[in-house]
Amino acid sequence: MTNAVRGRPRWGAVARKTGGHLVRGLVMVWVVATISFVIIREIPGNPVLGQYESLIQKGMSPEQAERATAVLYGFLPTGSLWQQYLGYMGSLLHLDLGRSLSTPGVEVTTLIGSAARWTVLPVLAGTLLSFLLGVTMGVYAAIKRSGKLGDMLALSGSLLHGVPVYVIGLLLTAIFATLWPILPSGGPVDVEFVPGLNPGYLGSLLQHAVLPVVTYTLASYGGWILAMKSNVVAVLGDDFILAAELRGLKRGIVFRYLARNAILPLFTILALSIGMLFGGSIFIEEIFNYPGLGLLLVNSITSRDYALMGGTFLVITIGIVVANIVADLLYTAIDPRVRSGGAA
Amino acid sequence: MTVIINPEGVADPQASPARTTRATLRRNFWRGVWRVLRRKPSRMAGVVIIVLFALMGIAGPLLYPDNLPRDDNALYAPPSLAHPFGTDFEGTDVLALVVTGARYVLLTGLATAAITVAVGTAIGLFAGFRRGRWDTVLMRLTDMNLAIPGLPLLLVLSTVWKFEGPLEMGLVLGLLGWGGIARAVRSQTLSLRERGFIEAARGLGLPTRHIIGRELLPGMAPYIAMNMLIAVTGAVYAQVGLFFLGVLPFESNNWGVMLNLAVFNGGALTTPAALPYLLAPLLAILLLTLGIVLIVDAMDEIFNPRLREE
Amino acid sequence: MKRLAAIAALAAIATATACGSTGTTDTATAGGVYTTIDGSKQINASAPINPFNPVGSVFSGYNGMALAWPKNDPIDPNQYYPAIASSWTVSPDQREVVIHLQPNARWSDGEPVTSEDVRVSIGLAYTQGGTAYALDPKAAGAAADIQVVDGKTIRITQGANRSSMFLSNLLSTVVVPAHVFGRLLPGDFWSTLKLAQTGSGQAAERAKSRITGLAEKVIGFAPPHDVSAGPFVLERVNPGAALLRRNPYFYNSRAIAPDKVKVLNYTGNEQIWNYLISGRLDNAPFTSVPTAVMERIQEARGSRVVRGYSPVSTAMAFNQAHKPYDNAHVRRALAYLIDRAQVTRIASPEGGTPAATTSGIHAKAARAWLGDGFDRLDPYRVDPAKAAAELRAAGMVLRGGKWAMPDGKPWKVQIHVPASFSDWVSAAKSISSQLVDHGIDATVVTAADYTLYLGELADGKYDVGFWLIGLGPSPYNIFQRLFGQANGWQMFGGRLRHVAPGTEGNWMGGPQVVDAGADGRVDPGELTARLNFASPQEQKQIVGVLARIANQQVPVIQLWDYVNTQFVNTSRYTAFPPDDDESLRLSSGVWMQLGMIKKRQA
Repeated sequence: MTNAVRGRPRWGAVARKTGGHLVRGLVMVWVVATISFVIIREIPGNPVLGQYESLIQKGMSPEQAERATAVLYGFLPTGSLWQQYLGYMGSLLHLDLGRSLSTPGVEVTTLIGSAARWTVLPVLAGTLLSFLLGVTMGVYAAIKRSGKLGDMLALSGSLLHGVPVYVIGLLLTAIFATLWPILPSGGPVDVEFVPGLNPGYLGSLLQHAVLPVVTYTLASYGGWILAMKSNVVAVLGDDFILAAELRGLKRGIVFRYLARNAILPLFTILALSIGMLFGGSIFIEEIFNYPGLGLLLVNSITSRDYALMGGTFLVITIGIVVANIVADLLYTAIDPRVRSGGAA
Repeated sequence: MTVIINPEGVADPQASPARTTRATLRRNFWRGVWRVLRRKPSRMAGVVIIVLFALMGIAGPLLYPDNLPRDDNALYAPPSLAHPFGTDFEGTDVLALVVTGARYVLLTGLATAAITVAVGTAIGLFAGFRRGRWDTVLMRLTDMNLAIPGLPLLLVLSTVWKFEGPLEMGLVLGLLGWGGIARAVRSQTLSLRERGFIEAARGLGLPTRHIIGRELLPGMAPYIAMNMLIAVTGAVYAQVGLFFLGVLPFESNNWGVMLNLAVFNGGALTTPAALPYLLAPLLAILLLTLGIVLIVDAMDEIFNPRLREE
Repeated sequence: MKRLAAIAALAAIATATACGSTGTTDTATAGGVYTTIDGSKQINASAPINPFNPVGSVFSGYNGMALAWPKNDPIDPNQYYPAIASSWTVSPDQREVVIHLQPNARWSDGEPVTSEDVRVSIGLAYTQGGTAYALDPKAAGAAADIQVVDGKTIRITQGANRSSMFLSNLLSTVVVPAHVFGRLLPGDFWSTLKLAQTGSGQAAERAKSRITGLAEKVIGFAPPHDVSAGPFVLERVNPGAALLRRNPYFYNSRAIAPDKVKVLNYTGNEQIWNYLISGRLDNAPFTSVPTAVMERIQEARGSRVVRGYSPVSTAMAFNQAHKPYDNAHVRRALAYLIDRAQVTRIASPEGGTPAATTSGIHAKAARAWLGDGFDRLDPYRVDPAKAAAELRAAGMVLRGGKWAMPDGKPWKVQIHVPASFSDWVSAAKSISSQLVDHGIDATVVTAADYTLYLGELADGKYDVGFWLIGLGPSPYNIFQRLFGQANGWQMFGGRLRHVAPGTEGNWMGGPQVVDAGADGRVDPGELTARLNFASPQEQKQIVGVLARIANQQVPVIQLWDYVNTQFVNTSRYTAFPPDDDESLRLSSGVWMQLGMIKKRQA
């Protein structure tokens, strides 16, 4: 990092850097797609037999179950592994993820599209909410770090960061859906309302999203408060603060300086966690029966829906890869020291 | 989201001290530890909790017979003196299940942490130390590791792979999770490098092994140790969570299996009857988390003097 | 930061007001909304409204109609309630069935339901395969000829290889509107079908593959909106639920009380428990319920339990190709050691009754089939002394309180179950604890999911695993679980053959011919296959032999017989079917068609 350039970034360099990131990102997606393809084809178990026995287990008569599953044999992949792989890669180039087996006859992209809607909404809301909350509380925790309040805040952050998300989810369901049933659990919206911008539908949408969003917020709030606290503590040691204190600058100005400098590095983490959100939260979606990508992946695994499994996995990975690129670029924009040179 | 403890402010290893002062330093260090612990009694509690869990993992299964006794007439019995956390679906004491189940859980956690830290540190150090082509290749590998969605992959893997014991489980979790540490250790190494004292050591003709072992690692050790503790909790959650989802095959009793059976077989979220069966392993997880959080907090202050305000 | 806080506060207020304004649904009308769950399918908002699609948004009994609905008879599979078919006659030799349609049946767009609709539905069923509509003329019970007699009458003739299941398979045919689905069948479909069924050589093969090639198109067909002949018609579906509204053209519309039906999706039983406790469901299908949860559900206002017969039993099955389970003495010894009452109490207290013995048949059906013969079967009461004698007879040795293999090597019983079935997991745990008490080293090993479990089971990787048996009412289906494909007997193109253990899914690995005492040496798989076309008297005799073989050879240990435990809530609707009603395994929609379920009068 000897040739660090200060000042405005040169656009040519930025474009080159972005291009490099994109190429690396594509390679990464290809590698992950290949790995997941191989693993997925290795999964033992016959999907048709599995579905047949599950139907019987649910009380269907053998004839009925046979009628419902016999046709699925036509949907199983054929040909050698290598042929299947070439076919898969070929259709990937056309953004075609193939057809689902568990929802036979439906395109995987359609299924992923409708599930993505239900993942992005609550997880994005949860991420942003926890970010706001965590960052604000983090500043307090840092300033008052020797007081009782700061201690409590920091400890609450550590604990919430430590407690697994399923524990929070289970406890919230136990309280708000069972013991004191004021919130619905299960499904994204009451089907009685006509979808659209009417108060009934939106209200029901919000009502159903409350528990997943709160769970997600609580689960990620701890991370933000911890990160913000340690950043603020680091900034507090800066010369500027020292000088400001000596000169007796207004508290507001000091606070703004503090917040801005401590918060900037967090934006890269924010970008990363927004990328992660495509993975949804498998636990949250499972516990609240929320039909997002995580639940889609779990269901595709249990039904051995190879195309759907691969597609969901790929979308989740692409989300992460893109977020990594964005985070890297953001980091470059924020921290001039890494603007050029040095592999970041 | 995982937060890697900020490497900022890790004690500088510049003070490559003479042998004579090492002992004094060490004494001072332990005195510092004691002082930090004493300043907040909660930190002592953390140490006590962790020691307790360690004992549970080592000696727990020895306290009970190989096959835990059952009481056919006390299925899901409420808490009592004989059964402080009630009994499970076949009348086995829940506390006994928690104690005997600890070893599996903790062993996985330790194995994961050891692998995460070993692989992450090795790759990070090597990349940061060598730079150049090695750095590029290793960092691409790290990016890949970070880009693979862990939990979804574990779900897929659990059908392909038989996770037969805690160590195997730990191996997989560890191999999935080293990316964060590798990246942080690399940037740490780079920044130490930038301060020029690696070149200085080189100039003095010190061997690479010495530079890494004596100059770089000691400075990063506390940071690595903290991350190791955090990796333990991460592994415990991932593992208990997978058992809870019911996607891992199990042979022996452990906390995740208890959660799964309590919720899906006992209806613990629906009725209070099986609640103690659910709460006991949850409480164990919370306690373990609390203990580790408190110790990390103490370590943070010991090694990161800026956090001290006085 | 301040601005953000203000926005957050505003959003919170908006949320609160929006949540407060519930109840303004567009469905608050006289008949009310009937809320239930369809246990047989996951609701999938992306799936087409098409009954041929396994997850299509067509709910049996509501907007999905068959020719008739099966009664829950313990032994006769040909008992049906009329639906689209108002009546039917069968020729004495069972070759020919004449079906008369409901004279007033109409689709929800006002079009009448005609013989042509049934013919098209049958044609579409051929593309999907299945017993009555197999393209292979040699397959037992295939429909060979379909004749439209008039607009409301249709005659169907069975092929040469007859099956006693023909009527039953025919009547459960799903009926779809020809004016919506008809265009899926190409113009020359019926001549192609004729060629496939009666032709020979290449031409017939080509015709067959043309017809099966239509399957994917049929299954993926997505009509723009629902056209139903049932009491309801689909209004909308989202990933959490489906909403159906009343079909004014339904032939028995006056009998239908609710204006709307809401079918909720679920991902786990515990969600159904929660719905039941909060009293949200008017009816829930069978779900396994722990005792404590049962108590809370019964505390809910209006909550009532309806119990009936469910022709399914859970058994612990052996892989007889593995030692020492190849020895009937060992299998019998284990049967003498397992306390089935205790296992049932732990695993399925509300949804099962401990199996009276191992016969391969659910106790209720067994009584009807076997009469007094049922009492003459060995009941396998817990008897450690008998078990020890059997183990010794098998050459097993008792060393230091632990049983070991005849060669002195340790004997480890590994009981495999899928992790997702919590009742099986706890049953297996209970069994392993009991066996340990009797000096047998037993453990439980779970598989990550059911598909994986079935795959490994079929590959012969397990010694002992759980298996559903006694799938009545057809006696062939009952014994096909013990002496069918899983045990080496394969039915292909109407011919039976036996494959060696460990191949082609034969994981039970039993002998092809067994010594059945007074009945001589018999081939149980061959006997089972014969149940398909035997006369009722012959069937009774064969079932007797097979039950005795199951009882003596113990290819499985029958653990508990399921009870169809359903929940209904009488605070909004009344007149639910009583206990043991023959309609209990059908959906609420069918109950309504049959004149049950009335709005509670305030």
